[in-house]
Amino acid sequence: MTKERLLQCLGSTLWPSFLAAAVASVVFFAAIDPETLRVQTFPGLELSRMAGYTIGFFMFWAVGLFASGLTYVLSGGGNRRHE
Amino acid sequence: MSKGDDKVDLDVGMYAAREKIHPREVDGTFQRLRHLAVIVLLGIYYGLPWITWDGRQAVLFDLPARQFHIFALTFWPQDFVYLAVLLIIAALSLFFFTALAGRMWCGYACPQTVWTELFMWIERWTEGKRQQRLKLDKAPWSINKLLRRGSKHVLWVVLALYTGFTFVGYFTPIRELSVSVASFGLGPWETFWLLFYAFATWGNAGFLREQVCIYMCPYARFQSAMFDPNSLIISYDEKRGEPRGGRSRNIDHRAQGWGDCIDCNLCVQACPTGIDIRKGLQYECIACAACIDACNGVMDKMNYPRGLIRYTTDNAMEDKPSRILRPRILVYGVLLLALMSGTVYSLTQRTPLAMEVLADRNVLYRDVDFETVENVYTVRILNKDREARDYVLTVDGLPDAEVVTRPEHIRVDAGRTSQVTASVRVPRDEARGTGHTIEFRLTATDEADIARTSTARFHGPREE
Repeated sequence: MTKERLLQCLGSTLWPSFLAAAVASVVFFAAIDPETLRVQTFPGLELSRMAGYTIGFFMFWAVGLFASGLTYVLSGGGNRRHE
Repeated sequence: MSKGDDKVDLDVGMYAAREKIHPREVDGTFQRLRHLAVIVLLGIYYGLPWITWDGRQAVLFDLPARQFHIFALTFWPQDFVYLAVLLIIAALSLFFFTALAGRMWCGYACPQTVWTELFMWIERWTEGKRQQRLKLDKAPWSINKLLRRGSKHVLWVVLALYTGFTFVGYFTPIRELSVSVASFGLGPWETFWLLFYAFATWGNAGFLREQVCIYMCPYARFQSAMFDPNSLIISYDEKRGEPRGGRSRNIDHRAQGWGDCIDCNLCVQACPTGIDIRKGLQYECIACAACIDACNGVMDKMNYPRGLIRYTTDNAMEDKPSRILRPRILVYGVLLLALMSGTVYSLTQRTPLAMEVLADRNVLYRDVDFETVENVYTVRILNKDREARDYVLTVDGLPDAEVVTRPEHIRVDAGRTSQVTASVRVPRDEARGTGHTIEFRLTATDEADIARTSTARFHGPREE
């Protein structure tokens, strides 16, 4: 993979999923307190709220990245026909 | 892949191999305006967390406590609607200003542009002007190059780290944060976000620069939908400029058949996104007006009138009148005004108290004695005020209904939630049938204005 192709791939998957994750985190955590979530799921785990937010954000990012990545691959991985 | 000027050739691919753009430094009215914008905006960003208000940080998004403090206001997760409205207002303002004045946002206020400008100042300071930077790029490694390059990168990293530190300072009290940084006692999450934001700033403003606008920015792609022929754009006056070409300052160029453009290429050199504005409006243009200032300087030297490249509208370029007041502007304007005044009004009317009533799901009703039936509710009280308060609960809706809470005066600390059990007792004869509506009213004992109501269902024995 050339450097340009790699950059293109990263740019068109990492970035949109980052934006989506930011929005999703704000909406999700405005409604749901990570502390309640922890108590209801893994009460034995020591997790601060900050940790909850961070994990949530990266989870959303990973999900978005998965979708963006699939879109990238299915739509021809950029501009394959021109190579 | 294409290089240089034809940066974006959609047929070949969105991502052309990039050559670093070294914009030429220009001076002029618009560049001074942009510098002012950079200083004001970054001044706000770096300064705001240090301001105190009422004994605490004036602007603090306290995520661990789930409270947002903005000067005198405190927002709770329950106030999410304000955030939603704020985002709608932001989007509408973007539409409004784009329709009115084009990409003002990109040129003057976008964080990407503002930080890039700051990083370019450092670059200019350490590596010199455009010609010197171009030379330095090509020069072999030497002590001089190492020193200049090295000091640039050191300054960039320091600035990026401080930017990341300020960013975290909006979420963790910045004074405490600076103490923990100084004593190497930063928590893992704070460290992570500090580095994350610093890295993003460093990469975006130092290296990616115009590529963010061209390849990553969604606004750049759909802003054309917000434009109309009356929107302000930066445009080259083709009718006046063409045919272009070099000439002596002393000749009557009109008589010789020349236009006003002397083809000095300064507008291209000044452009931070590396486009040629003379080719017409392009989506890479971030409306920074560097080409206007560059061209005006040349026009002055040639004794030609200014404004060969200028802020204008499509209509004006075609000698049609430009209209400022048009349906689009009016609709956006009215919506914006309504939303903003509505928000301000509702903020002033906000009660610093929230209540939630849940009926006991296990038992419909309970006989207290032969005369009275009772329903039990769980009442959650959130004191959104800055001081602890006592509240009393009353009930209305059924004759002779009374509510018992223990204790009678419910004390809730500032910013805390409390849960109490409330029993509502109603004479048996008044309570017959299911599903009466009753209304709870919670009032602060010392401040009758602070009150909330909430309705609930009351169930009694079946009719006989």
